[in-house]
Amino acid sequence: MPGLALLAAIGTPLGLALLLALPAARGLVWRALSFAPLPALALALFGTVPFTVSNDWLILGSVLGLDATARLFLIPAALVWTAAAAAARVWMAGDRRATGFGLCFLFAMTGNLGLFLADDAPTFYAFFALMSFSSYGLVLHARSEEALGAARLYIAFVLAGELALFAGLGLAVGETGSLMLADIADTALSVPTVALLLAGFGVKLGVMPLHFWLPPAHGAAPVPASAVLSGAMIKAGLFGIVATLPLGEAAYADLGVVVTAAGMVTIFAALLMGARETAPKTVLGFSSVSQMGIVALGIGAALMAPGAWGAVLPVLAFLAAHHALAKAGLFLGAGAFAVQHSPAARMAVTVALVLPALILAGMPLLSGALGKEALKTALGAGPAVWLPWITLALMLSGVATTLLMARFLVQLWRKRPAAPAGVESDGLVIPFVLLALAAAALPAIWPTVAGSAAQPIAEAAPGTPWPLVAGALIATAAAVASHTSRVGWSAVLSTLTAPAERAAARVGDALVRRRRALSRKARALPPALDGWIAEHRLGQTGIAALLVAVLVIGGAQHVAPTDPIAPPAAEQNGP
Amino acid sequence: MIDMPLLPLIILMTSLGAAPVLLALPERSARLRTGLNLAVAAVKVALVIWLAWKAAHGVVYDLRLSVLPGLDLHLQADPLALMFVALSAVLWLVTTIYSVGYLERGPHRARFFGFFSLCVAATVGIAMAGNLFTFLLFYELLTLATYPLVIHRGTAAALRAGRIYLIYTLVGGLALLLGTLALWGLAGTTDFVPGGVMAEVAAERPAAAQALFVLLIAALGVKAALVPLHGWLPIAMVAPAPVSALLHAVAVVKAGAFGIIRVVYEVFGIELAQGLGVTGPLIAVAAVTIIYGSLRALAQDDIKVRLAYSTVSQVSYITLGVALAGPVAAIGALAHLIHQGVMKITMFMAAGNLAEGLGVKKVSQMDGVGRAMPGTMAAFSLAALAMIGLPPFAGFVSKWYLAQGGIAAGQDWVIALLLGSSLLNAAYFLPLLHRAWFRDATPEAANAPARRKISLWLAAPPMVTAGFVLVIGVLANAPFSPLEWTRFIVTREFNGGL
Repeated sequence: MPGLALLAAIGTPLGLALLLALPAARGLVWRALSFAPLPALALALFGTVPFTVSNDWLILGSVLGLDATARLFLIPAALVWTAAAAAARVWMAGDRRATGFGLCFLFAMTGNLGLFLADDAPTFYAFFALMSFSSYGLVLHARSEEALGAARLYIAFVLAGELALFAGLGLAVGETGSLMLADIADTALSVPTVALLLAGFGVKLGVMPLHFWLPPAHGAAPVPASAVLSGAMIKAGLFGIVATLPLGEAAYADLGVVVTAAGMVTIFAALLMGARETAPKTVLGFSSVSQMGIVALGIGAALMAPGAWGAVLPVLAFLAAHHALAKAGLFLGAGAFAVQHSPAARMAVTVALVLPALILAGMPLLSGALGKEALKTALGAGPAVWLPWITLALMLSGVATTLLMARFLVQLWRKRPAAPAGVESDGLVIPFVLLALAAAALPAIWPTVAGSAAQPIAEAAPGTPWPLVAGALIATAAAVASHTSRVGWSAVLSTLTAPAERAAARVGDALVRRRRALSRKARALPPALDGWIAEHRLGQTGIAALLVAVLVIGGAQHVAPTDPIAPPAAEQNGP
Repeated sequence: MIDMPLLPLIILMTSLGAAPVLLALPERSARLRTGLNLAVAAVKVALVIWLAWKAAHGVVYDLRLSVLPGLDLHLQADPLALMFVALSAVLWLVTTIYSVGYLERGPHRARFFGFFSLCVAATVGIAMAGNLFTFLLFYELLTLATYPLVIHRGTAAALRAGRIYLIYTLVGGLALLLGTLALWGLAGTTDFVPGGVMAEVAAERPAAAQALFVLLIAALGVKAALVPLHGWLPIAMVAPAPVSALLHAVAVVKAGAFGIIRVVYEVFGIELAQGLGVTGPLIAVAAVTIIYGSLRALAQDDIKVRLAYSTVSQVSYITLGVALAGPVAAIGALAHLIHQGVMKITMFMAAGNLAEGLGVKKVSQMDGVGRAMPGTMAAFSLAALAMIGLPPFAGFVSKWYLAQGGIAAGQDWVIALLLGSSLLNAAYFLPLLHRAWFRDATPEAANAPARRKISLWLAAPPMVTAGFVLVIGVLANAPFSPLEWTRFIVTREFNGGL
């Protein structure tokens, strides 16, 4: 039975890809596209883990299976692929290169889902390579100057990464004497081997300085491809690190420092670079880089202090799931935005996009904030020297992400992503909304999905809104500043004073009109009546003054007795 | 099943006997020629399967015909011989089918198929030679039988290429003759024996043993295209596509590499070779060849020349694995002998199809050819990705074993060499794939007069061999896969040597 389930999980996307070669079957394949990841999803959700199936004849003795950790990575990946496939179907409906895209998409899906199921190094490497190389076609799809450049950069980094992996896995197998990933991860590998593996997977993860390919590729790829590149494939890098490195077994202090430092630089440098980007999807790409900096902090800490790994791993799995859903949601949302025709519909999508943006930026009680709080707790067992800095970096990363999200939403309006004509809007809006809702509901679902691994999340503090608020304030200030620099101070001042001037002018107009009306009436009414009005006005004024006086006195009396009891100062001294 | 002690001889005679008949057939009886060609090739595959089956069940084949006292014509079917025979038999069948389509209505078909058959007979003889003397005979026969194939087109360029080819290989053959005589004089025998026959000589006269090693390797290195003896190979690219395919996959280049395997393992013995200090320089030569060939390939615009330089590089993997002197590396080397053959034959046949169907001979003309010839280009792409060493294709398996062999031999730098080579492989193959699949055909190319639909005779063979590339990689661990067979051979060689 597990064998059949595995066959279905890997064989479905692979078989559909091969079917695309038959022109007659193409319509069927596109209709079935969003069902392709479902066998893998079902296997992950309902399969009893761990299990393994040995296929002695395949490759160098291939072992496939699923364990508790791989399962936590496979579930969000399969969800993201499902949503992206649904979007791809409508996005590519009128594209003349649709078949090529579908082929690359399905091959990449096979590789991405398959690598979570691989238990031995060659099989894992095969799926990893399948995913990486076939994504070239996704990045290149538009064939624009931008896409060509991005694809060239992408394939260069992929090659470098694959070579580092070949060397790293080869050395690891040589040192371990076993092809199994579990054995490799249990062996205290030599430092060069670990460094090679880190470099190979670091490319996929996009940690600086291996990130150069990522934002352009995510920006240039069609929307459904960007969603899986960012949502699902980046996580393959993290999973590779989790599956092969002897984290928790041996300490690599030097490498740990390098990875931690790289993580910290990544978080902020990605902000600085992303804030300069104008294409909204590229901004999202930089946000992914920044988020993976957070992940790198966890890995770096575990490299320095192996004792912390037990606590860090479940948090990293949660952060990966959180980022997968939220970021893929944002990408599909950008696509949904791009295909709307009316400004009102665009505004509606923008408002909806605020939800995943807030999740990512660390809105308290939602997955981003919970993940960060849990990571802070988990790293309590990490290297003590680094802890304050890591805590600070995590806090500031919230500010950074908020700023990038603000930039993204603004740029969405200024530079609408390219979209094919005549795309059926629902095909994008529905997957986007579902992913965003899944991301929002993640803290509630996670205990059911992850079981005991969800413990750190359930116990995490709700998080503070301050980074978010600070980010929002800075974003507003930046918006004002940038506006100012664009149009000049006098223009800004005139903008600011314009409402007041308009109001003043309107009041003036009203007064003039009133005076004229009054003068007309005055001319029409008999002088006696005129006298009566003058009297009456005086009376009215007197009544009004009296009322105000009563209110003032009464109000003062009402407030006075409550004074000693109010303000409940204790509430302000919260945690 | 009945036992046939003469089975190796019968296998040799299938193609050797067919050659004169094919030469004598009148030019116009095309149908008869095709039928004969295919029948013989198919019978041979069947016979080889039978031979392998018997050999795997412990039947020993050993045929000797005494020429001089102590100098025999010696045919045998050890596992190593079987491996090479099987490779040549299967690829010969495929290439024959391809040639029939390729030479349709061309001139001099009788000559072509006659020498083609002779060429394969020589390869079988080289494979099953039980001593260096027999090896030498077939090695020279191969040189002579290949020459008419290289100059088949009869153009000035072809004649020049043939001349250069002949000069290189005849000088190499002369060196091999000298080496064989020297071996006979020094060791008193030229037999291939696991563990080698040179132990006593080396103990008494190490310098002579070293000199003999250098002479033999240099002689074989000409055909194996070791730098700096590789000059003929890229020039010989003027030959028709099926000839190039066979030359690069099994016949000439592999005969050299196969000879190096025999000399290192069964004339000297790997331990002795290490003791003599000659494996180190051989590793160096192989390493230089691997990198040099790839670097030259980068600069070539002609598809076939690029493939030729790639062969220079890839065949040296075999030499490298042999010289690394460990069982794991040896598995990589022997597996690569097969894997490289299957991958390269696919690429050459695909390149031939591009030239025939679209008139595309240069890398710079390859824009959009994937759409025009999807089957051919799919086969080509699969083989190219395998060459780069991507799993789960054949090339990955041999590269993986070479890397593990390097680690096992304590030579971790081999990994760096393999990485460099893979990077260069990617650099000269991926642009072709990019052009073929991800660019649109230029308007002139789309309306070129050279465009014609290729027949199934041409279209099918590369797809079949591409299927092999996939299957022997994906099923590398299955019984009777090339890798398993290689493991079996290596167990034998290393037990014999220890």
